[in-house]
Amino acid sequence: MAITNEQLTDLYRKMLMVRVMEEMHAKLLQSGQIELMGHFGTGQEAVAIGVTGPLSRDDFLFGTHRGVGEFIGKGMSPLNIWLEYFGKRTSLCKAKSALHLGDRQLNIPPVVSSLGSDFSMAVGTALAAKMRKTDQVTLYYVGEGTCNQADAHPSMNMASLWKLPIVFAVCTNQFCELSYMSEHYPTKDVAPRAAAYNIPSEIVEGQDVEAVYEATKKAVDHARSGKGPYLVEYKTFRMAMHYSGDPGGYVKPDDLEAWAKRDPLEQCVKKLSDRTILSEQDVLKMRDEVQAEVERTVREAMSAPDPIPEDLYEHVYASKEVI
Amino acid sequence: MARTINYLQAINEALAEEMRRDASVFVIGEDVRVGVFGQTAGLVQEFGEDRILNTPIAENAITGVSMGAAMNGMRPVLEIMFCDFSMLAMDQICNQLGQWRYVSGNQFPVPVTIRTAIGGGFRMAYGHSQCLESQFIQTPGLILVEPATPYDAKGLLKTAIRSDDPVIVFEHKKLIFGAVEGEVPEEEYTIPFGEAAIRKEGKDVTVVAVGFMGYEALGAAQELAGDGIDIEVIDPRTIVPLDEKTIFSSVEKTGRLVVAEEGRVRGGLGAEIAAMASENYFSFLKAPVQRVGAPMVPVPGSPVLEDLYLPDKDAIVQAVKRVVQGD
Repeated sequence: MAITNEQLTDLYRKMLMVRVMEEMHAKLLQSGQIELMGHFGTGQEAVAIGVTGPLSRDDFLFGTHRGVGEFIGKGMSPLNIWLEYFGKRTSLCKAKSALHLGDRQLNIPPVVSSLGSDFSMAVGTALAAKMRKTDQVTLYYVGEGTCNQADAHPSMNMASLWKLPIVFAVCTNQFCELSYMSEHYPTKDVAPRAAAYNIPSEIVEGQDVEAVYEATKKAVDHARSGKGPYLVEYKTFRMAMHYSGDPGGYVKPDDLEAWAKRDPLEQCVKKLSDRTILSEQDVLKMRDEVQAEVERTVREAMSAPDPIPEDLYEHVYASKEVI
Repeated sequence: MARTINYLQAINEALAEEMRRDASVFVIGEDVRVGVFGQTAGLVQEFGEDRILNTPIAENAITGVSMGAAMNGMRPVLEIMFCDFSMLAMDQICNQLGQWRYVSGNQFPVPVTIRTAIGGGFRMAYGHSQCLESQFIQTPGLILVEPATPYDAKGLLKTAIRSDDPVIVFEHKKLIFGAVEGEVPEEEYTIPFGEAAIRKEGKDVTVVAVGFMGYEALGAAQELAGDGIDIEVIDPRTIVPLDEKTIFSSVEKTGRLVVAEEGRVRGGLGAEIAAMASENYFSFLKAPVQRVGAPMVPVPGSPVLEDLYLPDKDAIVQAVKRVVQGD
């Protein structure tokens, strides 16, 4: 089933939200208004938004430290993200998690600090879904860099062995932290590894949010129907550095120039315009709205209450007496 | 009505009872359908392969799988065959499991119980013999349990499975392979965390002996009685939370403290309890605290060397004599 006009508009709006929020985070860092460094996903918004599009509210999502994309994609509110980033008492993780965003209502566990530690956790949420017959799919969103962690192997192995409802969504953004993928991989792609576990896989153009959405939808449907895991690899390019204080200098200028011409937001605008879904005016209006929402939520988050000293000892155990 | 069962049967009963009571409880681990040491033997007949889940050999990943299952409504009881292998899962246990409730702001409690076999005496050398409980003391969010009797093994494991916190239950191989017996009620019971057991009352020296060392301490008590020294033997039963009140009420009475563990002394439970004593209970002490534990060497394979390595009754007797010297 093809994507509807409303869906495409929504995907675009979310990509825009991600772009504007990350630009805002960079500005806040520059002006010293936020302490938390940024790991931006500029240029790969179509992947983060496209992969989360087919998920239902109850499905599990394991996201990454790279920007806000998949969290906005699954429906997290910009306010909840800022509250976490500013370390505010009213944040969902109660001022404990910073960039490790998590949202119980949306079944998004916190992002792990050590890359790939959640590979097996995702197998676990999928295992529980199968045991409890809940119809939930787990989407494990991961970069190609993390796919070299040791736990990638037993996790994919168990997912296939037990025929679990899980999609491994690999965002190949060409960089593993401060290195080109070619310094970490003897192969061009991650996807062929899936065959070793008898997991079907597909490689998808990652700049086209519609293509990302549709490929992921197919994989999610496959997993939900009880046929077991699926791996999709999305090819994109990280236009941002690994993190905001990154020394840089390792990205070839030619690559930046070439991929700048393939910006996922611009491509989507073209599509919306070609299909006469949105006019140029509509797009500008949407940008203003998103910008205003981001500014409003930042202000709201900044004025939210800070944690109190007692919060330091809250929620270590179920009972406070144990500490 | 109490009857006599062994340590393995106690664990097996606790697992079966909790699985009957709560459909979200399941057993997961390497070869749990057979049960390498026998704790999980026979469960698959009653509960089926879905709830007694054999896994590939991948300690870190199966710990993560258990944690994920706990995040989605299950209560896994994970077996890590040897505690030495839990070092392969240190990322999952210490970075993730212990800290998950906190980092998620109480959104994602992870009720995982890990059972693991500790201890030496079976000539299995460095990687199948260690007591590594102290490795986990530094991690917030974990409950650490070390039952020494069938009664405690059953009651504490049931509490662990019902707990909303991650719990590690350390089972000493001498209690497993030795099929140590004890009285266990027919009726349902659980044992709360943080309540030590006084194994023997005494007035001269407090000996805190964790896990299997309790038996060595009771042996030492008999020998010391011949010298007119009356020791009190306390089994903490849970290392975290620690029953500070029972331990130091005893020290207030005796004025002397020995801590005995099979793990290595450096940075161990003895070091922690000795630090508590000097920080908060210094005025109770009539003599310096003594630690009994393994030396800072790997566990050797030779029977001759392993016997030298393992702290035992004699080491406790000597430590007690050091604290009563000068009386």
